[in-house]
Parts: sequence; structure tokens; C-alpha cells
Amino acid sequence: MTALLGDYTLQNVMLGAALIGVISGVLGSFAVLRRESLLGDTLSHAALPGICLGFIVTGVRDMGSLLAGALFTAVVAALLMVGLTRRTRLKTDAGLAIMLSLGFALGVVLLTWIQNRGGAAQAGLDSFLFGQAAATTRADLLPMALLTAVALSGVVMLWKPLKLMSFDPEFAAVMGLPVRRIERLLTAMIALAVVVGLQMVGVVLMTAMIIAPGAAARQWAGSLLGMVLLAAGFGATAGISGGLISTLGPGLATGPVVVLVATALALVSLLIAPRRGLLPAWWRRRRRRSHTSTEQILQTVYELAREHGDWRYRVEQGAVDAYHGMITEPQLATLADRGLLISTEHMPDEGPHWRLTEKGQGHAAEQAKRRNERRRWRVRA
Amino acid sequence: MSDLRADIHTPHEPELALHIEDLTVSYGDRPALWDIDLNIPPGVLAGVVGPNGAGKSTLLKAILGLVPRSAGHVRLFGHPYKSQRKRVGYVPQRSSVDWDFPTTAVDVVTMGLYGQLGWWRWPGRRERDRALRALEEVGMEALADRQISELSGGQQQRVFIARALVQKPDLLLLDEPMAGVDATTERSIIDILSRLRSEGRTIVVVHHDLQTVQRYFDWLVFLNVRVIAAGEMAAVYSARNLRRTYGGQIALLDENGAAAPDAPGER
Amino acid sequence: MSGLANPTIAILLTGMLVGMAGALLGSFLVLRGNSMLADAISHSILFGIALAWLATGETSGAVQIAGAALSGVLAVFLIETLARSRRLRDDAAIGLVFPALFSIGVVLINVFARDVHLDEHTVLLGEIGFVWLDTVTVAGLVVPRALLASATLLLVDALFVLAFYNALKLATFDPGLARALGLAPGLVFYAHLSLLSGTAVAAFDAVGVVLFVTFVVVPPAAAYLLCRRLSSLIAVAMLIAVASAPLGYGAALWLDVSVGGAMALATAPFLVGAFSWRRWRERRRYRAAQPPAVSASSSA
Repeated sequence: MTALLGDYTLQNVMLGAALIGVISGVLGSFAVLRRESLLGDTLSHAALPGICLGFIVTGVRDMGSLLAGALFTAVVAALLMVGLTRRTRLKTDAGLAIMLSLGFALGVVLLTWIQNRGGAAQAGLDSFLFGQAAATTRADLLPMALLTAVALSGVVMLWKPLKLMSFDPEFAAVMGLPVRRIERLLTAMIALAVVVGLQMVGVVLMTAMIIAPGAAARQWAGSLLGMVLLAAGFGATAGISGGLISTLGPGLATGPVVVLVATALALVSLLIAPRRGLLPAWWRRRRRRSHTSTEQILQTVYELAREHGDWRYRVEQGAVDAYHGMITEPQLATLADRGLLISTEHMPDEGPHWRLTEKGQGHAAEQAKRRNERRRWRVRA
Repeated sequence: MSDLRADIHTPHEPELALHIEDLTVSYGDRPALWDIDLNIPPGVLAGVVGPNGAGKSTLLKAILGLVPRSAGHVRLFGHPYKSQRKRVGYVPQRSSVDWDFPTTAVDVVTMGLYGQLGWWRWPGRRERDRALRALEEVGMEALADRQISELSGGQQQRVFIARALVQKPDLLLLDEPMAGVDATTERSIIDILSRLRSEGRTIVVVHHDLQTVQRYFDWLVFLNVRVIAAGEMAAVYSARNLRRTYGGQIALLDENGAAAPDAPGER
Repeated sequence: MSGLANPTIAILLTGMLVGMAGALLGSFLVLRGNSMLADAISHSILFGIALAWLATGETSGAVQIAGAALSGVLAVFLIETLARSRRLRDDAAIGLVFPALFSIGVVLINVFARDVHLDEHTVLLGEIGFVWLDTVTVAGLVVPRALLASATLLLVDALFVLAFYNALKLATFDPGLARALGLAPGLVFYAHLSLLSGTAVAAFDAVGVVLFVTFVVVPPAAAYLLCRRLSSLIAVAMLIAVASAPLGYGAALWLDVSVGGAMALATAPFLVGAFSWRRWRERRRYRAAQPPAVSASSSA
């Protein structure tokens, strides 16, 4: 294992993947919060023609110029998208899809143009489609690190306005913030994140790296700072482990593996995060169910009957469920077993009903009286 | 099972235009509507008022089967909504659709007939004529071939009402038709509704402006998750009912064990 | 060699048919505000294609189209389920689901199908330039397989839209009313999206799925800027798609680039044209609405 970690290519892969994870996690958090998750998808597809342009202009596969080209076309596509939706009736989703597909089409055309002139083989430009980690050299890492540093310092400098705008853009505008200019800067920074990831994750899947770490962190964090830091951590974890797996497994493209790890992190977070997770929520509901006693349910039936002025009133099970916010059938069945309730029906388009038996009516009335006395004592004390 | 199925066809409270019993609708953990009992006789123009989040729109949607019921039943002229579809017109909130949709006013009104046309039949000459007549009823016939995005807010609202009218509904449900329209349009909408009432139709309007409630409607429903009061305007419009409706949190069940005492000195 | 197997005719016809089918279904998608679902579905079908290949060992055919269509529907179902859990907004749900399904598809191909003619590049980019090589014989006629598939899908799509036009239109404009009138908008939505996935599969041989997205989104968007009626929007969108095919093909031959990419890119001038026409008309109407005194003083 140590020999493996000493491997030069592997070091490059892990360093690069960590960079990608951090930058896309940080900027993706803002994209997710601002409901602009799919902007990353458009930016990454629209970066493809830029990569080709970078190659055509310089004639060599120099990472710096490729990424500069990618950044250029991605930002141009984003600006065109905003212009198109502001000046016409077209909605944001259409604007995103238009620039995504046309940008990618242009990229494919340029890619084949280069290929058919015998340049792409050594350029290896089509590895940008799905990313090829192993192709990363130490020289490639420098521009990636540089772009990451630029984007991260941008986030630090713009922290307060970004926070305000993610939470309440209208309020930010009222406060006198230059909202549009900051929005454009944020878009440019997300484009930076996308561009950094192109080499390893590829244009097709980079969108998942923007979304998944932020979506995962959202489930755990209670504050924006916590969310951004966590997202950076999740992103780095996904990048490094995905990079490792794809290098070790023969013939596995890096992008898909990194994306699957990131998605798995997001899904696990959705399931188990303490406050927002689905499993804890389910567990809390279960606990509430076991803490809601059959006596309380009987009281609900009793009160509903009393409200309708008839102790034989048939209470629909769905109403008791809605009142307690849970499934109450087990308790209702227990009460029926004890002879306090009786199962019945009402209208044909309604669910099962229950009504008090004479014994149940007496029992519930007794309980209600005791409860009221207890309450009165508490008030006196 | 077969006797139950037969049961749904026997009318239940057929003399009422709208009969709601024990209706509860729940979104997630908390009921949006709780234990609603509501009867509206035919031929009235009824207003539904209540604070934000009182479940006013939900009530209309529950009547139309657009949201699932947790409990209770709804009958229109004695029957469930499914069999009464053709007798009911619905005017949703204007903001619920995209007014940039490439279509004309008369075309939107024709859509009201799609339910009667069914899955396969196409609208023809006859449907277009009916749509034009409905537009005439709301004073919009001159703008029939306008694209809907070129209409003003009030004109769009009248197109929406015409779309419901084209079905010749016996019961008309409107969700905040006066929201965001100018005073002239508001007056003409209420004129249209009053005329429909005098033709014997029943109209239920979710309304937000307490200033005009007494002038516009002859029947009133105070709603805040529960029905606070409902009945003829003169009988239910009171300071006390207003306060109880708009006065904050409503308890679902009176757990004190005693009915809320009438405050002395009222009325 | 029959006329349909002639390379130029086969390529042009396939491009036109795929474009028409995409624009037809895409019109409703764009109007409903779900354009990015086209992207999501077209990526997700790789999962279905890979699974269908594992099961049958074939990369094209009815089973593949059905399987891939199902995976497109699966993607939509997963997106809706995630969004309904209220832990994620629907844009994030879209962006989480389709890359994952696409990635699983790529990994399956990487692991099991390395030597087979099935790789993510083809699915993504397609190669319409070679459609005439893979032919089948139908009723004594030699027909390229991709041409046959796209013609069939276009026919099915057109029949679906014609049969359910009213329901589709109302479900797109006002799903609430559609439901109140008993026209099951949810069912219509899923039927529409499964046809879209099926059509994307048929298209992947020819233009590749991402370029298919162009046909689904750009012609309807351009037509949206020009038309006042849904029926004319659909007609104009399909015309734009049809015109883009020869335009792109000519450009591709001239510049020696990807035919599918050029066909997709050829939709762009129509969008730019529609945009400019719209702006020009708005400006003219604005100027006409100005009182003459103002324009006189401003020009003076």
C-alpha cells in the first residue's frame, strides 16, 4: 500500500481529485442553495468548445490554455443564457438546455475538426468527455491549483454578500448590494470549479460534482459555513476515493466512479443525517407512535364524538391519523380488543370507521374527568 | 362489496348544491383542513374568507378531488364529484398557469370543454361557438383571438371565468378571482357572478377582502382549518366570528373538556 | 442498392426524422418548463441500454428501445421521489439522478462490455455518417436500421400526439384543470416522457443523445418566440428541425466535421433568427406606440 501511495501517477490523481472535490463542494453549495444546481451542467457542456479552441489557438495540449478556453466559452454561454431569458419569454430551464446542447454540439464539431486534421490523438482531447485521471501530470496540477485558489479567495472575499444572496436575494437588493454583478461573479466562480474538474471528471458528469457534495452537506449542516466546509470535505472524499478506485480497477473511467461515490455520499446523507435524514425522521415518527398511548387515541375518538354531540358518532380512522400525524390503526385495534371501540363503516367512499362502545364511552369519560381534575390541581398549585 | 358500490349511486343530501361532512385533509404532519362540515344550498353566492394558511384553496381542491382526503366525504347535488364533473366549473388562481403559453383567449375557453369532449374527440365549430358565447358573457368577445400574454390581468381573469362558464356549470368554484385585478374588472366580475346566481347557479368564491364581503355575497363561510361559522350573511357576519377566524391559532379539539363559552356582551 | 441505402439519402432522412420526432415531443416539454428533463432522460437511457445489452447481448432492437425507455421513466420517477421527500429541490434532484444512472451505465460497459461495439462515446455522440452501413431488409427493401427505427418512433410519437392532443395541451397549460376534468395529467406526463426516452434511444445511433437534446429543445424554443398558437409552434419547430438536417449535413461535408454535431448546431441560426425577429418587432411596436412628438424631438 505504501508503495502504491508512493506511485507518482497516483499522487497526481489524488492531489487533483482533492482539489476538484474542494472547489466544487464549496461553490456547489451556493448553486444548490440558490436553486441553480443545473447551471453547472450547462457550464461544463459549454466548456467543451473552449477546450478545443484552446488547442486550436495554441496548437499544443497545454493545460493552462485549454482551461482558459474552457472558462471563456463557459462564461460566454452563461451570459448568453441570462440574456436570452431576460429578453424573451423563454424560461430559465429552456435557456439552460439551449446553451447546454448548442455548446456541446459546437464542442463536438470542433473536436472532430481537430481529429480529422490529425491532432486529437496526441491531444487526447476526447478524454475530457469522461475524464481520465491517469493522464494527469504534475504540470496539469499547477493551473488547477491556481484556479482553485482564485475561486476560494473569491468566496472568502464575497462571503457576506453571497450568504445574503443565497438566503434572500430580494432583501440583498434592497440592502443596496449590486446583486446582478455578484450573481455574475458567482457564475464565473462556478465556471472555475467546473473547469478545474474537466480533466478528471469530464464535461458530461461534472454537474454531479457540483451538486452531490452540496446536497449531501445540506442534510447535516445547520449553518452556511458548516455546509460549505462539509461539502468541501465530501467533495474531496469522493474525488480521492473515486480516483483511487478507477486507477486500481482496470479500464474504469474516472468521472463515473467519482460521481458514483459522490452520489452515494449524498444518498447516505439523505438517509441518515440526524435532523433532516429520512431514517431518523421515520424513527422519530415510530417513537412518537409508541409514546402516543392507546388512552390518548381513545380520548381523540371521545372528543370527536363529543364535538358532534353523539357518543355513537362514527369517527373515521383517517381523521385520527391526521390528528396524531401517524398511523393509529394498531392502537385502534387494541382498543377494539379491549372492548372499548367497535369497528364500523360509514360512506362507501370513505375509509374504516370506529365508534365507542358503551364501556368505551364510560372509560373515556372517566379518563377525561380525571385529566381535567389533574389540570385544575396544576392550575391551583 | 357490491352493495357498497350500489350505495355510492344513491343520492345523499341531493337538495344541497354542496354537502361536506367530516372532511379532513392533511399535508404531512398537520391537518390543513380539520373536520369540516359544510352545507351550501343551491342558488347562493357564497364567499369563503379566512387568514392566510386557513386552507381556503385546499377546500376548493378537496371538493374537486385534486388533493387526497384523509377523512370525510363531499357530495355535489347528492353525488360524488366524479359523476358530477360536467356540472362543476373551476376557476383556479390566475398565477397557477403560464400566461406566455402560445394560445388565444378563445382557445383557452375551449379547453373548458375538453372534459366533455373526452380523450379522443377534437373541438370543432360548435365548441368554438360555445366558447365565443362564453367570452361574450364576460364582455371579452372582441379579444377572442388575442394571444393570452397580450391581455391585461383583469382580462386574463375574465377569460378564466369564461372557461368555467362554457361548461354551463350548476356549481362554480372560484379561487381568489379578485386578486390583482383593477376596480373596474372587480365590479364586472361581481356583476357576472350575481347574474349567474339569479339564473339559479350556485357560486362559491374564495375571497380575501373583508371590506367587500358583505356587499358581494349572500352566504358566508368563515374558515380557519375548521369551519368557524357558515350560513346566511346576516346570520354569521359578526365581529365575534371575525375575531374567532382571524384571532390566531385554532385548537383542533377542545381538550379542556368544556365547550368554548360564549363571551358575554357580544351582540 | 435501393434509394434508401444511398448514404446521402439515408443520412439526411435519418437526421430529419430524428429532428422531427424530437421537436414534436420537445414542444410540450419546453412549454411545461421541463427542458432539462430532456438532458436527464437522454443521459439516463445509457443505464437501460447497458442493462438491455447485458440481458440480450444486442445493442439495438425493440427490447433495447423499451428497456432504455423504461430507464428514462425510472429517472423521472427517482427525480420526483427525491423532490417529494422535501430534502432536495427538484433542480438538485435532477442533477443527482441522471449523472448517477449514466455513471452506472458507463461502469457496466467498462466492466462487462469492453470488446463490444457499445461504448459511451457512441451513445453520447452517435455517428450518423455511418447509419447507411447497418441495414435490414424490410419487404424486399434494403433500409438502414437507424432510419427504420427513427421512422417508426416518429410515427408512434405523431400518433400519440394526435390521439391525445387535447389532453397533452391541457396537461401542459393547466394540469390542475386537466385533473379536475378527469384527463389524468400525471399519466399523460409519464406517457409523453417514456416516448421521449424511446425516441432518444432510436436517435442515439444517429445523432447521439446529447445532440438529440438539441433537437428537443432548440427548435421548439425558437418556434416559441415566433408563434401564437400551439399547433403552429409544433409545425414551425418540426420545420426548423427538418431544415437543420440538410444545412448541417452540407456544413459537415464542407468542413469535414461530425455530421450529427453539425446538424444539431444548424438549429442555432434559426434560434438567433427568431430572437432577432422578435426584438425587431418589439422595437417597432414600441416606437409605433410612442407619441409622434416624442420621436420627433428625440430625432431632432
